[in-house]
Amino acid sequence: MAQAVLEFRGVVKRFQSVNAVDGVSFAIQPGEIFTLLGPSGCGKTTTLRLAAGLEEPDGGEILLNGAAVAAPKQGVFLPPEKRRLGMVFQSYAIWPHLTVFENVAFPLRVRREANDNIRRRVSQALESVGLGGLSERGATQLSGGQQQRVALARALVYEPALLLLDEPLSNLDAKLREQMRFELRALQQKLELTILYVTHDQTEAMTLSDRIAVVHGGRFEQVGTPEQVYESPASGFVGDFLGRMIALDGTLKNSANGRRVQFADGASLKVDSLPVDSLGDGAAVRLLMRPEDIQILPIAELGPNQITGAIEQVDYLGDRFECHVRAAGALLVLPASKKMRFNAGAQIRLNFDPAGLNLLPR
Amino acid sequence: MSLPAPTGVFVRPRVRLRPIRVAEIVALLFFAAAMGLPLVFLLVGSFNLASPGQAAIYGLGNWTSAFSDPTTLSALWMSFLLSSVRLIPAMIIAVIFAWLIARTDMPGGNAIEFICWLAFFIPDFPLTLAWILLLDPNYGFLNLLAQKLPWVDGPLFNPYSFWGIVWVHTSAGGIWFKVILLTPVFRRLGASLEEAARVAGANTVAMLRRVTLPVLAPMILAVAVLSFIRGLQSFNTELLLGIPAGIYVYSTRIYDYIRREPASYGEATALGSIFIVVLGALLFLYWRFLSGKRKFTVVTGQGYSVARVKLGKWRYVAMAGCIFYIAVMTLLPLIFLVIGSFMRRYGFFNISSPFTLAHWQSLLSDPIFLVALKNSLLIATMTSVGGIFLYSAVAYLLVSRRMVAAPLLEGLCWLPHILPGILLGLGILWLFLATPLRFIFYGTVWGIAMALMLGDSPVTTQAFRAGFMQLGADLEEAARVTGASWWYTYRKILLPLLAPIAGAVGLMNFGGALTSISIPVLLYSHQSRPLAILLLEYSVTGELERGAALGLLITAIICAMMLIGRKLGLRLSGM
Repeated sequence: MAQAVLEFRGVVKRFQSVNAVDGVSFAIQPGEIFTLLGPSGCGKTTTLRLAAGLEEPDGGEILLNGAAVAAPKQGVFLPPEKRRLGMVFQSYAIWPHLTVFENVAFPLRVRREANDNIRRRVSQALESVGLGGLSERGATQLSGGQQQRVALARALVYEPALLLLDEPLSNLDAKLREQMRFELRALQQKLELTILYVTHDQTEAMTLSDRIAVVHGGRFEQVGTPEQVYESPASGFVGDFLGRMIALDGTLKNSANGRRVQFADGASLKVDSLPVDSLGDGAAVRLLMRPEDIQILPIAELGPNQITGAIEQVDYLGDRFECHVRAAGALLVLPASKKMRFNAGAQIRLNFDPAGLNLLPR
Repeated sequence: MSLPAPTGVFVRPRVRLRPIRVAEIVALLFFAAAMGLPLVFLLVGSFNLASPGQAAIYGLGNWTSAFSDPTTLSALWMSFLLSSVRLIPAMIIAVIFAWLIARTDMPGGNAIEFICWLAFFIPDFPLTLAWILLLDPNYGFLNLLAQKLPWVDGPLFNPYSFWGIVWVHTSAGGIWFKVILLTPVFRRLGASLEEAARVAGANTVAMLRRVTLPVLAPMILAVAVLSFIRGLQSFNTELLLGIPAGIYVYSTRIYDYIRREPASYGEATALGSIFIVVLGALLFLYWRFLSGKRKFTVVTGQGYSVARVKLGKWRYVAMAGCIFYIAVMTLLPLIFLVIGSFMRRYGFFNISSPFTLAHWQSLLSDPIFLVALKNSLLIATMTSVGGIFLYSAVAYLLVSRRMVAAPLLEGLCWLPHILPGILLGLGILWLFLATPLRFIFYGTVWGIAMALMLGDSPVTTQAFRAGFMQLGADLEEAARVTGASWWYTYRKILLPLLAPIAGAVGLMNFGGALTSISIPVLLYSHQSRPLAILLLEYSVTGELERGAALGLLITAIICAMMLIGRKLGLRLSGM
């Protein structure tokens, strides 16, 4: 494994008595987009600010390229300006008294680069974010999307070891956000950037990241590829945060031909692989699944892993229907394609893909 | 290729003395010495029976003698009475002005707002002098005019009276201060609140009575309380108009204690201490009130109201009323200040060649005037430049979130708010007298500049603090992350962005230093006498014509400065 660009080892940050970051460890590999995903106030931005040196940790160790930059036990703390990082703030933090050119040139001026060198590299950076020709604009004359690009160019212009992005797209409108997401990924691959990315938007995290850390209460709930965290959430929180989850409570039944979960109304479902082997017969369990993994079928259509239910209400949402189904002692809200029309009161079957069922102890 | 490892890896474990911690300690020590000590000296001094510089003898003598003197209690009573009585007309007029400017279609609203803003900067001492020229029982122009009327015999007006003081205050900066504060409040009232009242069927009067005023009541009340507290600290008008009539407020009583021979420092400090406690309690209640929920739930309506109340033909009446008030209360006295400065003997219009340039010539060629001008410019420059650097640093510390003792520093910064000018001067005087500081500061321009600068602390710190808060930490942190040191960031990012605020508070403090009388009055000596004190001396020695010329000069300098500042785009206002 290559030398990690950024490594956290049991990092703790307290605000008053609250642990904003509570013993977090991770390592970012070169060329990787590592995303911290979580609701607001979960500690993801604090984690990023710790990496930037804008906050001092109260415990643990932070290493950049293998060298400690913050280790309170050893009394090591490297201020932000010595860390050689690039950062894009949520507010973009474009300095309003400087032109676009001077904003981007600032990091180079700080480093006392020669003037023609500055000119060349700034126009390169502006070119790469698609802002060539705007360099003499005042920073306040720019649209939100353009400011965002200036902030990106400013962060890239001195080829930082690591790029820190703090909700960079959250102030843009939906269309622009999609476009910037695409451009950001393309730019990252072209320049082989290593990025620590913070967001609360799961779509952003899913489409951009190589790995995602789902943050909750200052701790990492799960770290994995987008597919891993979406398909096999390690906790109800992770699953819920990444999209709507359906939870069905039941008891585990072990038998010769496999394991099943039996619900309060007597119906049961087969479950595939068991991540938790310690669960014995009769253990109280919870099944987590995504609505899109459940198929609504007419009552006549028999399948391998089904329970029956009744439709209580059907909502028309334009591109699809949404059915409120009473089954297994719970009310499930499920999408149904426009091809199949169900009426309220109809008896139906629900078909489950065993691979989409996640078993958790209750 | 791997990137160069960041340096700092080999730093040995040690107690790191962070620059911000050092700055915090320095700031705390400075403020504790400069603001805390005067207060302590005042309180301790009130129990010291010996005169300053001699071995202390402690006792209650000052307190008993100050309070067995019936004039002490009556001075305290008079302070409250004057401040509350003049508040009533001032608030009514200010609310009407603000409402007309901000919420109605009165023509010329912007021009009237501008005049109110300019009138705010007219120093109160020359204005009081002008009213004396108009209303003095012996030579006041309005009295002379009134005596031409058949049924009037003897002087009609007397400025040296309770009502004279109230009248002059109703024309001075205080009222314009309220207009400046209230106009934006009226403007910011959410459009939807008034529109909803309209839709619900209310006419203009019902809307005003049932929606606009009740909704704004907390803010109006806040301005009233602030004005009341400021009124308690008033000194100049009471000095010029009160003392001849034997009307003393506590600030002029303290002045009297110190200026009498021999000076009664003990009684002065006892009286001052009482007043600090009273003012402190008032301000505490005011802050409690402001930090309560009511104020903030009120003026949060969305969108500015563009729809203004249509006054119909009354709008010209409203405009005429505003102009009339400004003309009588501001323009008229200023005109007589001009006339007075050119009259051979003020009030004698019938002598041959009543007008002369002699007073201007003698003023401008008076070596005392030239020294005072030099002193004033020196003091004002030191005050405003020093204040910019000191209080921007303090405000930075306060918003940096990294301070351990932020509440303490903040409290010390606010101290001058409970110390009226005369008490601040007295406290600093004690500090100078009781410590070796007297060799540098006592009776010098340095001492006066230092006292004035301390007096500017609350407002200046607050302005910078608001500026830093508005900038947000991101702009600074973005610079740090890109590799700029703190000092580089401060010079290239923070300072340019805060320049408008620095310019505005610098100009305000410069003007304040030029006109302040109550702070330097106990601290000056003959070498360090500033212009405002010279004006005071002209007034009490009866050289009214020369006083008028000097007062006019000061007024002109201030107004010109503020106009230039406004042209440069600085946001100058009373806060």
